[in-house]
Amino acid sequence: MKKIFKLILIALLVVAINPSFAQEAEGTPTDTLGAAVNKLQSAVELMQRFKVTGYLQVQSQFTDSLGNPFAGGAFPANTDKRFGVRRGRLKFAYNTLLTSFVAQFDITEKGFATKDIYMVVRDPWTQTLSLTGGVFNRPFGYEIAFSSSARESPERARFTQTLFPGERDLGYMLTIQGPKTSSWNFLKIQGGFFAGNGINPETDKKKDFIGQISISKSALDEKIKYGIGASYYDGGVYQGTANVYTMSNGVYAKDASAVTIGKFAKRQYYGLDAQFAVESAIGISTLRGEYISGQQPSTATSPNSFTASPSADLYMRDVKGSYVYFVQGIKGTKHQLVVKYDMFDPNAKISGDQIGLSATNMKATTAGDLKYTTFGIGWIYAYNSSLKLMAYYDMVKNETSKNLTGYSKDLKDNVFTLRLQCKF
Amino acid sequence: MKKTLLLMISLAILAGGSFAQKIKGSDTMLPLSQKEAESFMKAGKGNVTVTGGGSGVGFTALIDGTTQIAQASRAIKMDEKLKLTEAGISYKQVIAAYDALAMVVNPSNRVDKLTREQLEGIYTGKIKNWKQVGGADLLIVVYTRETSSGTYEFVKTSVLKNKNFVNSALSMPATGAIIQSVSQTKGAIGYVGLAYVNKEVKALKVSYNGGKNYINPSIETAMNKTYPITRPLYYYYNNKDAAKVKAYIDYVLSPEGQKIVLKVGYVPLSK
Repeated sequence: MKKIFKLILIALLVVAINPSFAQEAEGTPTDTLGAAVNKLQSAVELMQRFKVTGYLQVQSQFTDSLGNPFAGGAFPANTDKRFGVRRGRLKFAYNTLLTSFVAQFDITEKGFATKDIYMVVRDPWTQTLSLTGGVFNRPFGYEIAFSSSARESPERARFTQTLFPGERDLGYMLTIQGPKTSSWNFLKIQGGFFAGNGINPETDKKKDFIGQISISKSALDEKIKYGIGASYYDGGVYQGTANVYTMSNGVYAKDASAVTIGKFAKRQYYGLDAQFAVESAIGISTLRGEYISGQQPSTATSPNSFTASPSADLYMRDVKGSYVYFVQGIKGTKHQLVVKYDMFDPNAKISGDQIGLSATNMKATTAGDLKYTTFGIGWIYAYNSSLKLMAYYDMVKNETSKNLTGYSKDLKDNVFTLRLQCKF
Repeated sequence: MKKTLLLMISLAILAGGSFAQKIKGSDTMLPLSQKEAESFMKAGKGNVTVTGGGSGVGFTALIDGTTQIAQASRAIKMDEKLKLTEAGISYKQVIAAYDALAMVVNPSNRVDKLTREQLEGIYTGKIKNWKQVGGADLLIVVYTRETSSGTYEFVKTSVLKNKNFVNSALSMPATGAIIQSVSQTKGAIGYVGLAYVNKEVKALKVSYNGGKNYINPSIETAMNKTYPITRPLYYYYNNKDAAKVKAYIDYVLSPEGQKIVLKVGYVPLSK
């Protein structure tokens, strides 16, 4: 009996000290659920920092003549109809309270290209200042930063495509804007220094300054929204040769003062933009406009901005450009109608039959000096936030000159675009 | 026989699930929508799920198509209207009830009434101590909602006349968090929908006429429009979902639904 009792006692002792036999204290179902929810919440909060968005634009285009040279990318020489992926954007963003990292790529049948790659650091004290560095939209005007997925016409204005190819540039920028809780949140000031070559490496020591001040407000009844902005670009283009030409009496004359190779020719623009939206019984009506003027160093035959330090002679042009959009949403429907007027004058100092003329020891103006006006009309059907159909017709009119071969009358370069967009 | 029974059960589940609709947005409206939804489902009229997050979150969900009804304690903004137009969404706005917004302090605070100007001074940081408004020598701790909240927007417009909240204001993600914080902090002040006021906090009387009349926030004073901080509570839905949400919306607007509004502590559309 005593032996059995001792054995039982020893067994009980072993059980007591052996943790594997100890029964775990069970929490209540509520505790267990609460712990699980807390874990899930932490995981969800981490995941919410990471966003992947994108859109795909597939389109068919028809033009009046073979090899139309503009239209958001020239048509191939032997075609007046084309089908393709206009944009295939994939954007990754990782956001914390203090920082953001963004990378956006364009993937089409033409290849893979980087569009944005930048970081943002925000001040955690006043939440008013932020510093952006990398490749991102130039802080100029309104249309540059307005997403192509939301824009009501297939392409940006001609002056935007010519003066700011790719919209983005390599640089760093300071933004001043009060937080959403501030009554100053409507005001935004941005300024930065950029390489000036668009989405390309830096090739010279000159940094271009781009700055903008803008306001955006809604009326208290939330039926009107308006905005206005002023922009300034101050930069330079590397002089790769000893020849810089400026306009004189309707032709290009060599600038005697600008003969030093390695100096920088002035690249300077002033811009104004305004936006107005109002809700009425017929729907939301939007009016947007922008104006730019300035000085553009370019080549003899093209007013386009350079994407690297040029090795050709520079031709200085006084440029002017503008656009106006009118967009009407039809209340109660998925339809929007749009009308757009777009003007770009790459050489505001001459017009008409002056273009193409030359003089002794002077350089003639060329097709690169012709003014273009485009009148566009379009219809947009938004099935939902992801799917949109656009039909748009651009009527392009160029300046004519009897002194410029091939441009004595308006070219046949109108374009019809039918585009399907899917966004996520 | 067994197979037929299983099929019928599956179909029944599917049928029940196909009428499920989502309501998302305002935290102020959460207690109301939850009670309405509960009663609606008890009556066998359909399935409804309700989540909060703030009025702004509700509008975003409506734009993205992840909710059938956005509940909001503020009217839709022009920016949101533009996004809805871009997304091809035409919407309908329905006023479901009214809400009186209570200014709440810790129960130990001896201040029991404030003018609008004093409230503005407190929330903008010009008034920093309770002794400046007749209370104890105690620093004021301001609690506010996040910027996506319709309640935040309404207070900024109505009480602060669009001025900034003080930088030191503590931003809370939900109304319940304000109640908890104010109840635990002696010098605290915050704002919540009337339906959230409980014994843990004290609601202040408010004057919008420079101190001539101080009105207590209640259903009665909100209905007779003497309490000045009152606002409509909205449901917004995509017109294409009109048929799906009609039963629920009609239920909320019915006498039965409006009785629930009163029961929960909101202000019915009419007596």
